Amino acid sequence: MSHQESQKLDNVNPLETRVEDVIERGDNDFLDDNHDQDEHSESSQSHQAVDESDSSEDEVAPRNTIGDVPLEWYKDEKHIGYDIAGRKITKKERQDKLDSFLASADDSKNWRKIYDEYNDEEVELTKEEIKHIRRLLKGKAPHAEFDPYAPYVDWFKWDDAKHPLSNAPEPKRRFIPSKWESKKVVEYVRAIRKGLIKFDQPKEEPRFYRLWGDDSSSADRTKHLAYIPPPKPKLPGHEESYNPSLEYIPTQEEINSYQLMYEEDRPKFIPKKFTSFRSIPAYENAIKDSFERCLDLYLCPRVRKKRINIDPESLKPKLPSRKDLRPYPSTCYLEYRGHEGAVLSISVEPSGQWIASGSKDGTVRIWEVETGRCLRVWEIGEAVQLVAWNPLPELPVLAASVGADVLILNTGFGNEEEQKRVKELLHIGTPTSDDSDDMSSFLSWIQDEKYDCIRLRHYRVLGSVPSSLGTVSSIEWHRKGDYLSTLSKRLTQRFPFKLHGLPVSSVFHPTRSIFFVATKKNVRVYDLLKQKLIKKLETQLREVSSIAVHPAGDNLIVGSKEGKLCWFDMDLSSKPYKTLKCHPKDITKVAFHRSYPLFASCSDDCTACIFHGMVYADLNQNPLIVPLEILRGHTSYDGRGVMDCKFHPRQPWLFTAGADSSIKLYCH
Amino acid sequence: MVKRRVFRLRVLLETVTMGKKKEGNAARYVTRSQAIKILQVSLSDFRKLCIHKGVFPREPKKKVKGNHHTYYHLKDVMYILHDPLLEKFREIRAYQRKIKKAKAKKNDELAKLLLSRAPSYRLDLVIRDRYPTFIDALRDLDDPLTMVHLFAMLPAIDRLKIEVKRIHNCRRLCHEWQAYISRTHKLRKVFVAVKGIYYQAEVDGQKITWLAPHARQQVLTDDVDFNVMLTFLEFYEALLGFVNFQLYHSINVKYPPILDPRLEALAADLYALSRYLDANHRAAIQEPQVAGSSRPEQEQEESDLRLAQLQHQLPANEPGALMHLVQDASSEIEEDETTRNCKNLFQNKKIFLSREVPRESLLFVIPAFGGIVSWEGDGAPFAESDDSITHQIVDRPTQGHVYLSREYVQPQWVYDCINARIILPTEPYMVGRDPPPHLSPFVDDEAEGYVPDYAKTIRQLQAAAKSDIQPLPGTGNDELDNSQNMLAEGFINRTEAMEAAEKKQEMMLLEKQYHNELKMELQGVSSINKLNSEDTKSKEQSLPDVEEQSAEDPSRLMMSRKKRGLYKAIEMGKQQKKERVKKLKERKRNIEAAQKSEKKHKKAQVS
Repeated sequence: MSHQESQKLDNVNPLETRVEDVIERGDNDFLDDNHDQDEHSESSQSHQAVDESDSSEDEVAPRNTIGDVPLEWYKDEKHIGYDIAGRKITKKERQDKLDSFLASADDSKNWRKIYDEYNDEEVELTKEEIKHIRRLLKGKAPHAEFDPYAPYVDWFKWDDAKHPLSNAPEPKRRFIPSKWESKKVVEYVRAIRKGLIKFDQPKEEPRFYRLWGDDSSSADRTKHLAYIPPPKPKLPGHEESYNPSLEYIPTQEEINSYQLMYEEDRPKFIPKKFTSFRSIPAYENAIKDSFERCLDLYLCPRVRKKRINIDPESLKPKLPSRKDLRPYPSTCYLEYRGHEGAVLSISVEPSGQWIASGSKDGTVRIWEVETGRCLRVWEIGEAVQLVAWNPLPELPVLAASVGADVLILNTGFGNEEEQKRVKELLHIGTPTSDDSDDMSSFLSWIQDEKYDCIRLRHYRVLGSVPSSLGTVSSIEWHRKGDYLSTLSKRLTQRFPFKLHGLPVSSVFHPTRSIFFVATKKNVRVYDLLKQKLIKKLETQLREVSSIAVHPAGDNLIVGSKEGKLCWFDMDLSSKPYKTLKCHPKDITKVAFHRSYPLFASCSDDCTACIFHGMVYADLNQNPLIVPLEILRGHTSYDGRGVMDCKFHPRQPWLFTAGADSSIKLYCH
Repeated sequence: MVKRRVFRLRVLLETVTMGKKKEGNAARYVTRSQAIKILQVSLSDFRKLCIHKGVFPREPKKKVKGNHHTYYHLKDVMYILHDPLLEKFREIRAYQRKIKKAKAKKNDELAKLLLSRAPSYRLDLVIRDRYPTFIDALRDLDDPLTMVHLFAMLPAIDRLKIEVKRIHNCRRLCHEWQAYISRTHKLRKVFVAVKGIYYQAEVDGQKITWLAPHARQQVLTDDVDFNVMLTFLEFYEALLGFVNFQLYHSINVKYPPILDPRLEALAADLYALSRYLDANHRAAIQEPQVAGSSRPEQEQEESDLRLAQLQHQLPANEPGALMHLVQDASSEIEEDETTRNCKNLFQNKKIFLSREVPRESLLFVIPAFGGIVSWEGDGAPFAESDDSITHQIVDRPTQGHVYLSREYVQPQWVYDCINARIILPTEPYMVGRDPPPHLSPFVDDEAEGYVPDYAKTIRQLQAAAKSDIQPLPGTGNDELDNSQNMLAEGFINRTEAMEAAEKKQEMMLLEKQYHNELKMELQGVSSINKLNSEDTKSKEQSLPDVEEQSAEDPSRLMMSRKKRGLYKAIEMGKQQKKERVKKLKERKRNIEAAQKSEKKHKKAQVS
C-alpha cells in the first residue's frame, strides 16, 4: 500500500517524501508494538507529544545553503554544507544503530522524530504536520478546511450577456451522420459477416460444478411455503416379478372375472410368468407410466397427510369393564308365546309380578312373569297399540289403546277391597266429566259394558265426524295414577300450550309436575302447575320415536327413527350430552330402569341394546354411559323387529316384545 | 426497472383480485388462469416454469372459484415471478419470433446467425433453490433416475423432438451414476420385474430406488405428451449432472470423466467409467496432498494428463487386481457394516457373461457386490477361456461346450444372491432348469402375512450361513420339503405361530361346547327347565357369534363418528389383507393338489 501511495505523491518535495517514509516506518513500528491500539489513542498520544515539545522549526529557515544538489557529494566531507554566513556546518556525531534503536524503544514519541539529512538534524513533527501527511496519504487536500466540491460558479455566463463568447453558427456536420464513420461501420459489418473479425466467444463455463459446497448452508426454503416432497412410487411386490411364485398368478377364470369388474376396480397389473430372462419383453406401458407420474408431479395438488399408524384398540374409549357393572340383562331366560300377531306394546305391573301385552291380533293378555303363564285375555277385535298399567299398586287398572280409543280395563287383581274401589272408580267415571268442560268436547268417557271398562273416545277438533283415522300414539300414566296422558295423531288431545309439529311421545316427570312432550325434532318441557314452557330440547335428530325419563328426572333419553339415541342432561344444556348411533334401523322404544342405572333401546333390527347410565349426585360429574350388551333373539317379521321393551320394576330384567309375536325376558 | 416491475406486479394483482376480499382463501389462492395472468406468460411456458420450479397446485380449504378449477398458492406464483427464468423465457420467446420472421422473409443468413446465438438458460440456481442441501436432492432422486434410465433406452425420434444428443446424455448420466454406486458398493437391492429392473441404493442414508427398463426396443405410444416429459427430463438431466458431480467430488474423482475412447466406441461405457474411477482414485490415494494447496495449476493439468495415460496403460485383462489394490488402500474410509457385507458378497468370484445375457445390468450389479466380471466381445477384461472363472452366466436352453472348472447359472442367481446377501446354491439355477421364483426384496413378508415357500428356504439358508453350519446337501426342491421340518425345529415365523394359535383356540372352543352340551344333557334330566330344546340349540349355535360381536360392538357405540370411521377403515384394511392371503393360500393349495394328481396320474400310467 505504501508503495502506491508514495508513487502518487511524486511531486512532493524530497523532504516530505523522506518524512513520509519515516512516518510509515514509525507507523509500522508503532503498529507492531501494539496492534490493538486504534487510531484514536494514537492521535491522543501525538497530541501529548505536541504539548511537551518546544521546537520552533517553523520560524527557523533552513540553515544549509547548498541548494538542490545531491547530498552524496558531501558524503565523505566533514561538513554537510554552509550556513548563511558561508561557514561550514559540521556533521554531528552519528548515533550507532544500537543507540538509536534503544532510543526508539525507550521513547514512545520516537516514531514522530525523523532525521533531516539535509540539515543533519532530528526533527520532531507536530500534530498538525502529521495530520497533513495523513491527509496527503489518503489523497485528500492537506488542509481540512479546503472544500474540493465547492459549488461551481460560472463566471462566464450571466443572464443578460450582450456578447456571446462565440457568434459562429452551428456547423452542418454537427447535424448529419458522418459519412466516413458509416463507411467504417459497413466495413466492419462485412468483416464480421465474413468471419474475418472474430469476437471473443462467451467464456465456456463448466456445465456442472459443485453446487452444494459445504452442506452447512441454511435452508432457504423456510422463506417459502413448506415443501412437500412428492410421494414415492409404490415398491413392487412379489407378484410383479418376472418369475413370481405360482400362487401369485391368477387363474384364467379369475382373469376372466376381471372383465366383469368396474374399470377402476380392475387390477392394473396382471402377474405373468416368464421362464427365462431372454423371454421378458419390453414393458408396453413404460412410457405411459412415466408420463402419468410426470402428470402427477406437476398437476396434482399435494397435501401433507399424516399417516396414522395406530392400534385400532386405542381408538376405543376407555370404559369401565362390563364385569364391574353387573347385574344387567344379558341372556334370554323366558319366552312368552300365545299372541298370533306382532306384540305392539307391553307393560309391567308395578309389583313386577305380571306383565300385560297388547298385540296386533286384537288381544290384550296378562302374563305371569315367573312362569310365562297367560293369565287373562281380552279379545278386543282391533289392533291394540298400547298398554299401560296404572303405577299405583292398589289400583290394578290397565289402559289400552285401540285405534282412537283408550280402554281402561279392570284386571281383577288385588284383594276384594281394592277390587271394589276399582269397580267403583270405573263405574263413576262414566257420565260425569272428570275433566274440565272444554276437554269433554273432544274427549268422551263412555262405559264399555263388554269388557267392564271405560272407553275414552277421541274426536277430531275440526269437523263433526268421529275420528277413526287418528290413532292414539302414546299413553302415559301420571306417577300417582290420577292422570292419564294420551297422544293421538289428530290433535285431539288438549294441551294448554302451543305445540310446534305433531306430538310423538309424552312422559311425566317422575317426581315433579313437569311434562315432556316430544315432537318430531324437539322435546318440550312444560310445567303443569304454572302451565308454561320450561325448556325446549333440540334433539338434532331426523325423527324422534320415543322418549324416557331417568327416575331422578334430570336426564332424558330420546330414541329416533334413524337409529340414534340421545342422552339429555337437563342441567347441562338443551343439546344432547351424548348421541349414540346404536342401531342400524329405527329405534322403536327406549326405557329406563327404575332403580338400577340401566337403560335400554330396542329397534327394528331385532336387537335391543342395554346401557349402563349412571347419574351422579355431584353436579360437576357428567353421567357415565357404557354400552353393555346387545340382546338378540327376535326375528324380523314384516320389516319390524322389536316393538317394545320394558324393564322389570325391581329386578335388572328386560322384557322385549317382538313383531314375531313373542315376548322375551332377558335376565342377568 | 425494479420499481417498474413492482408497480406492474401490483397493478396485475389488483386487476386479478379486484373487488375481492384481501384475506382468506380468496386472497391466498389463485386459479391457474389468474396465475397465468399475473405471470404474463403463455400456458406452455407456465407449465414449463411449474415443472422447473417444482410448483404444484394446492388444495385450498374453501374453493372460492368453484370445484373444477386448479388452485395455486399466491406465494408459489410469486416464487415463479421472482425467478430470472421467467424473464429468460420471455426473452427466448421474443428471440424465436425474430428467427421466425427472418425465416419468413427468406433471410436464411440472418436466421442462421440468430439461431447460432439463441439465448439459453441454466438451471443450476433453480436446483440450488429447490434443494438447498445435497441430502434434499438425494431424497428426490427416484423420479429423475427412473426417467433418465427410461430415456436412455428410447430411440431418438425427430418427430417427437427427442434428439440423439439427449439420449446419449441420458445414457452417459446413467452410466456415471451406476459407476459411482458400483464403485462405492452402495447398491442394496435388485428386483427383476416385468416392468424393468428395480434397483435400490443407499447414498448418505437416503434410500434411492429407481427402475431401469429392460434392454429391449421400447414401445412408443401416441397418447403421451412428450413435451411435458422432455421438460421434466431437462430438469432431471441437470439435477443428475450436479448430483453426479457432487458424488464424484466426494470420492476425489474429477467430473466429467474422460473415458477411454476405445471402450466408448465399443459401447462399454460402464466398464470404461469404472476403470476411470479406479485409476483416478488410485492416483488420488497415491499422491495425497503433499504438494499442499499452493500447487500451481499447470502441475495439476499435468497430473490429469498423466492420469489419462495411466488409464490407458492399465493392464487390460486384470481390473480386479487393481480394484483390490485400491480397496486395500482405501480401507480406512469409514464404511458401515452393510457396505462391507455388500462388498464381500462376490469377493472371490470371477464371473463371465455369455453373449445372450443382458450385459448392462449385470456389469453394474456384480462389481457393486465385489465380483469381477467379463463378457464376450472386444475390450473385455478376460476371455471365456480363462481358467480362473468361477461362474458363467448363461441364458439359453442348453450349453454346448462346458468348462468343468466353472458353474453355469442363469442370471437370476446373481439377483437372488444379492437380495439374500449370501451365495445361494447354484443347482436350482442351472442351465435349462426352471429357476425358483424370483421374490421381491421390498416386501416385508411378516407384515404381509404370507411367506412364499422360497422365501422360507432362503431364510433358512441365511440362518445356516450365519451360524456357519453347512446347509443340508439336498437343495432346491428337496429343500422345499425339508422346510417343514426345519420350521418345526425353531425357524417358525410369526404368521405360522399365529395360525397355530388360531387353530388351538378353535379347538378349545369346540371342546368347551362339547362339555357344555354334556352338562346340559345331565341337567336336562333332573331340573325342570322351561327352555325348550329347540331354544337351547339355537342359543348354543348363536353363542360364539354373539360373544364375538358383543365383544367389539358396545365400545364401538361410544366412539365419535370420526374415530368410528377410522376404526372401520382399519378393520376393512385388515379384512382385505386377510382375504388376499386367503386367496394366495387357496391358489397354492389348488396348485399343489393339481401337481399331486398329475404325479399320481403319471405313476398310474407308468404302472
